[in-house]
Amino acid sequence: MARTGSALRLIIAAALLLAPALAGAAEPEFYMTVDRARVGTEDTFSVDIVVGNAPEGSTIAFPAANDFEVLSRSETNQMSYSVGTGGTGVIKQLRRYSLILRANRAGTLTIPPATLKTSDRTYKTDSASLEVVKGRTRPEKPQRQAQNPFGLPPGFPQLHDPFEDDGPSVDVEVPRSDSDFFLRASLDKTEVFVGEQVMLSIIIYSQIDLASVDTVTMPKFEGFWTQDIQSPSQLSPERKVIDGVPYRAYLLRQKAMFPMKPGEMSIEAAEADINAGNIFSGRRAHRKSNALKLKVKALPGNTAAQNVGSWRLAMQATQTEVALGEPVQVKVQLEGRGNLQSVQVPALQVPAGLKRFDPQITDKPTVTKAGQVGGVRTIEYVMVPQQTGTFTLPGLTLPYFDPESKHFEESKTDPIVITVRPGAGGQATTSSPTTGDPTATADASAKNQLVAGGLRQVRATATFAPVKPPLWSRGFFVPLALAPVVLSLLSLGIGLARSVAGKTSPEALKRAQAKAARKRLAAAEKLLSSASPAAFYEEVERALRSFLEAKLNVPVIGLTRQALDAVMASHKVPESERRRVLAVFETCDLGRYAPGMGEPSARNRALDGAAVAMEKWA
Amino acid sequence: MIALVLALVLSQNAARYTPAEARALFNEGNEAYGRQDYATAQSRYEQLIAAGFGGPEVLFNLGTTHLSAGQLGPAMLYLERARRHSSDEDIEANLAVARQRQGDQVVGAETAEPFLQRLAAAIDPQAVGVAFLFTWYLGFALALLAWQRAAGRWPLGLAAAGFLLIGSLLGAGVAVHASVTRSVIESIVIPETVKVRELPGDRARVAFEVHAGLKVRIIEETGRYVRIRLPNALEGWTEKEGLVEL
Repeated sequence: MARTGSALRLIIAAALLLAPALAGAAEPEFYMTVDRARVGTEDTFSVDIVVGNAPEGSTIAFPAANDFEVLSRSETNQMSYSVGTGGTGVIKQLRRYSLILRANRAGTLTIPPATLKTSDRTYKTDSASLEVVKGRTRPEKPQRQAQNPFGLPPGFPQLHDPFEDDGPSVDVEVPRSDSDFFLRASLDKTEVFVGEQVMLSIIIYSQIDLASVDTVTMPKFEGFWTQDIQSPSQLSPERKVIDGVPYRAYLLRQKAMFPMKPGEMSIEAAEADINAGNIFSGRRAHRKSNALKLKVKALPGNTAAQNVGSWRLAMQATQTEVALGEPVQVKVQLEGRGNLQSVQVPALQVPAGLKRFDPQITDKPTVTKAGQVGGVRTIEYVMVPQQTGTFTLPGLTLPYFDPESKHFEESKTDPIVITVRPGAGGQATTSSPTTGDPTATADASAKNQLVAGGLRQVRATATFAPVKPPLWSRGFFVPLALAPVVLSLLSLGIGLARSVAGKTSPEALKRAQAKAARKRLAAAEKLLSSASPAAFYEEVERALRSFLEAKLNVPVIGLTRQALDAVMASHKVPESERRRVLAVFETCDLGRYAPGMGEPSARNRALDGAAVAMEKWA
Repeated sequence: MIALVLALVLSQNAARYTPAEARALFNEGNEAYGRQDYATAQSRYEQLIAAGFGGPEVLFNLGTTHLSAGQLGPAMLYLERARRHSSDEDIEANLAVARQRQGDQVVGAETAEPFLQRLAAAIDPQAVGVAFLFTWYLGFALALLAWQRAAGRWPLGLAAAGFLLIGSLLGAGVAVHASVTRSVIESIVIPETVKVRELPGDRARVAFEVHAGLKVRIIEETGRYVRIRLPNALEGWTEKEGLVEL
């Protein structure tokens, strides 16, 4: 890469073809001045070398030393005319070389003398001593000569001092290697909040003419949302002074950046291929800017808020009283400064009685002259009333963090009440309601539509009895359920045991006999319809006698009625039972011998009497 | 200890509300729901539940309030609890809405729950329990009468057998309800996202994630991890604090 204005060259052979001024010119004038006696290593200072009436063919060698770096060099010519003694006109030509230098080290340094060589001799200026300290001495512009050193007579137009109108001074670090033209990136802030705008500028500073910029490679802006502010297609210079050195500043790119997360963010260097000079003596050089750091602070307190900037929300409806099916347009407008793309406008919650269509969103970004990004977002809702009544569109609230006031703010809109009155109703539809065009559904929506769906509403009433656990989980449930089973099994077991244990006892025998008597009676029941009444009544009588033998434990066969009654009385059988038994025997006697007793009704009476006698006694 | 204190406080609260006071609290919750103050509505319904008045209506309202507020996990929890008390059309409708909003799609899941679970869900344990005891005792009483009688046993015996058969069926229903309730432990995922790991432990590989509102079955528990099973038999371990049992 070419290095221009780099280390001191020992001799910059500048061939001076001095115009013949005056024959028999006087001694050439040749001297050197330094504008400061004490400088810092970060300071620049000016050395002026003035040659007056230089002979033709003379050459000048600038002071050379490794302790200094030449940052720039300029050259001006002045000619003056005066009338000398004897009326002879004298033309004086002065050539002034201005060098901007910077010391490479601290200490007491000496600027060697400049040399002017003519055909016959060599002239030297005085050397100059400088005290050089580290860093900067004071942020002042280099002192310029207040007066015209060449003493032009009054009335002559003052020659232009190129340092007089060099534009504002900027604080840019000049790279030592690329001091003729270099690329610089800068931010307008070093510390911002998440979502706050910071402006990045990529500028070419040049001491020479630039022809064009071929390619520009911008850094990756990871963690940022960016928007181009300026990206000029043609280079347009602006004068700037850096440490007293005039530069042409070409704005290459300008971007508004919005950091998306907190932390120490890095922005890599930009790069560009720059064509310098003109078509006859141009050169192409690759330049790389400086990298940047940006401290991004998290929003204080409420980290859930995402909107940053200064915003104002407004909402208005085209009409607040409409007929059923007549569309209503509600416009929500957000306006302010900040990153419009990242602002989250709350959605409009529309009551169930209004059918809302997808809103149309229009963004109109703006950039102020100061480079502040902002804009206007317009959200247009179209809704068609489906029911009559009064509906309230709730007000919207947009919370945001204002980085200027460093506080959270809210922009609120008022609720809008829309009254829907009954429409014409019953009109035939002429267009499909599924087209998505809200105006097309107007006719179809002219009736009060009662549509089911959505969440079922909460219950208005409830029972307030304490909730009981399931019955089966109560402690008493299982014992209660098992109790009849256990009791049955128990009684069965007891009965079985008793029957086993008491089969041979007199009581058991009596029970067995009584049981046999009952079975016999059951056998007699089968003879109810038999042809022989005698057989039926005999069977009934035998069953009853067997029962009596079992109960009385005495033989009763062959006993007369009176004897049987006496036996029963001796066994303390109640009189009513005795009479019932005797009545059955009487019936059986009659049944065997008396006519008409063979009828089924008579047989039933005998059977029932025997059964009742047995049951009552049992 | 804290749980004990909380239980004591809750038991005191339970005794604090008369039915009239409970009704007033319920109405406050409904009014808050009407003006979309869901936090207040939830607070009132939760007070009622803590006081022992967590009937199906209160649970349904609390679940619906959570659903309206976009809190899917608690919404599913309380609606499912309401469904366990009393399954009706409203509960099913809001449960369907909640399931529609749920973020997980269990691929290959069986369309219906197992028969026994469906049977248990259909049983009213109080009514069936009372009916069981009534028919059971009546059957045994008739059987005893039939046994005691010498004649005319058959009608009584048949009636006893009929009642005992019905009682046995009702008892089986009670047994199914008790068995399913005790053995099938279901929970609802409450946080927005819950990691499910292949093994219990913080370092185990995450197998998949489930999201708020998903109903899972608890298979076993170890430490602060439980093994869950999805309806499609997909299993994994997750921290039990992210789940609330139905």
